[in-house]
Amino acid sequence: MEGQWWAEFLSAVLRAATPLVFCALGVLVCERAGILNIGVEGSMLLGALAAVLAAVYSGNPWMGVVAALGVGMLGGMILALLTVYLPADQVATGIAFNLVCLGVTSFVYKLLVLGGVQLMAPALRAVRAPGGPVSLLDLATAVTPLTWIALLLVVLIWIFLFRTGPGLLWRSMGESARAAHAAGLDVHKVRTVAAVVGGLLSALGGAALTLGWVPTFTDNMTMGRGFIALAAVYFGRWHPGLALLACLLFGAGEALAFRAQALGAGLNPYYYLMLPYVVTLVAVGATGRAIGPRDAGKPYPRG
Amino acid sequence: MLRNSIALKNAFITKILRTGWGSSATLAVLSMIVSLLALCLCSYFAGASPLQVMVALFEGALRGRYALTTTLSEWVAMTLCGLAVLIPYRAGFFNVGGQGQLEVGAVAAAAVALSLNAPRPLVIMLALAAAVAAGLLAVSVPLILRLRRGASEVTTTIMMNFACIQFMYAMVTGPLKDARSWYGTTPPVPQAYQLPSFPPGSGIPAGMWVAALIALAAAWLMNSTVFGLYLRAVGSNRPAAVAAGIPVNRVLTGAVLMGAALAGLAGGLQLLGYTFRVAEGWSKSWGLVGIPIALLGGNPLGVLVVGFLFAILETGARSMQALTGAPAALIYLFQGLPVIIYLGLRASAWYSRWSQAAG
Repeated sequence: MEGQWWAEFLSAVLRAATPLVFCALGVLVCERAGILNIGVEGSMLLGALAAVLAAVYSGNPWMGVVAALGVGMLGGMILALLTVYLPADQVATGIAFNLVCLGVTSFVYKLLVLGGVQLMAPALRAVRAPGGPVSLLDLATAVTPLTWIALLLVVLIWIFLFRTGPGLLWRSMGESARAAHAAGLDVHKVRTVAAVVGGLLSALGGAALTLGWVPTFTDNMTMGRGFIALAAVYFGRWHPGLALLACLLFGAGEALAFRAQALGAGLNPYYYLMLPYVVTLVAVGATGRAIGPRDAGKPYPRG
Repeated sequence: MLRNSIALKNAFITKILRTGWGSSATLAVLSMIVSLLALCLCSYFAGASPLQVMVALFEGALRGRYALTTTLSEWVAMTLCGLAVLIPYRAGFFNVGGQGQLEVGAVAAAAVALSLNAPRPLVIMLALAAAVAAGLLAVSVPLILRLRRGASEVTTTIMMNFACIQFMYAMVTGPLKDARSWYGTTPPVPQAYQLPSFPPGSGIPAGMWVAALIALAAAWLMNSTVFGLYLRAVGSNRPAAVAAGIPVNRVLTGAVLMGAALAGLAGGLQLLGYTFRVAEGWSKSWGLVGIPIALLGGNPLGVLVVGFLFAILETGARSMQALTGAPAALIYLFQGLPVIIYLGLRASAWYSRWSQAAG
């Protein structure tokens, strides 16, 4: 019984954390190249909707993943055009981009489900169907493949950023775009790639939300998860491994909040949901090393 | 030092005088018109007639006493939240936390208005003061982290938003919960402590006068006082402001506290004059929409104007959906698209040529 509770709890944590991990990686990759990816929330919504639609109409959840990648790339390209090439203010553009994505996704979904019937996407199956006695050992097979992809990406991105030459150059864009430019690198090209990769990963996060968890779309269904990913990157000091840890922590808060209530713990569940932010802010205040890549958020003028 | 500030002042005066066709206000109007056209196009795809959509939108917001009162009440929050972004933005602090400041402001006002038993003006004053104080408290964390730790306020204010909203949920499902209600909500503010309309019986919310006066005061503050000059100096070129002897951090702190106070006040005013309860999902995303309003408005009077347009769309959206079938969600599109167009145009090389040519 104990083991089963834990196994179910942990798989709930992983399920809640998976979209966050993708989005956090999307934010991290961008910030390391000097782009403050506030548009993560919007890209996530785009990915969530595209995944549902493609999965429903093709009958194959993996088509949903592909579609999410497609729209994520598109969104990233739009953001890159605005924030890298023009360049406009990254934060303001990102927030406006989120509002536009909220409008577009709600509108498109309403147009396609005029009858008012919820579209139910075929979900990505866990290797082993959930339910029945689950032990800790079975946990690995009780999550969807997307969770494994997310964990793999954490490792790959860590290796790329911190153990390869191009990764070092990539990070130099985030620390000092001017120095990178002086060293002969094309700041705008790399940042464009970063924005597109960020869009791809955020949209994958959206797809993980719909295909791996809630197999349908509702207006504003991400409910600020993109911003939670932003906080996770902050908490994780712009390091993939620590950001993963933060995502798991935040996912645990979400999974714990309503379980604790069900178990009859006295504390209001909303305090659990509040906890990750308070912890992050306290950590920033207490340690005082809250400064990320120095040039993140600063547009680099062309010419 | 004195000469420096005089030079700064002269530069700004010429800049203010030179607002003509090439100004960013023109761009803002242009981008809003383009966005309205985009709205029409989308409603056409949704099978509604664009003309009917526009008519339904504006009629639903402006025709009839109830609709007008709703629009004006929305305007209160939109104006104040716009200013809550605009004033700190001038000093180089991007206050994304307006929503959280508004939520805790409303919670504080509710706590006061529901627990006190005193004459009406006193309770209203105390409730609004509590709202302002809560807003200040909510911004103090990001502000201190920015000043002391150099932490970017964008992420910290976003985090504070979530913390504040969860706190609001905890309050309305916990200590402040209406015992007779099945969902998380405070009891309604007693009629005796609600904000009256002014002039009495007109249906014009008293908060509207407050918001309008504050906007005028902010316009005066930002355009005609030394503080306003400092504000721009700090926001546009911080090292130069330091060199000119401006107390940079004090100016920044003042601007940020002013903004947060207004967002908190917006929460209090909306509670006492419009929604009367704080509940799960009680508020629109006024704090968030304040960002597009501030960016498009560009100055306090512009915020007043753009806020009114946004209030019309917010109120009219429901009747638009009911009468024409165009989804109300289109309004979000309008809240974001003009900002993207505006920022894009302003950053483009084409604009810098054009504004120089137009003078």
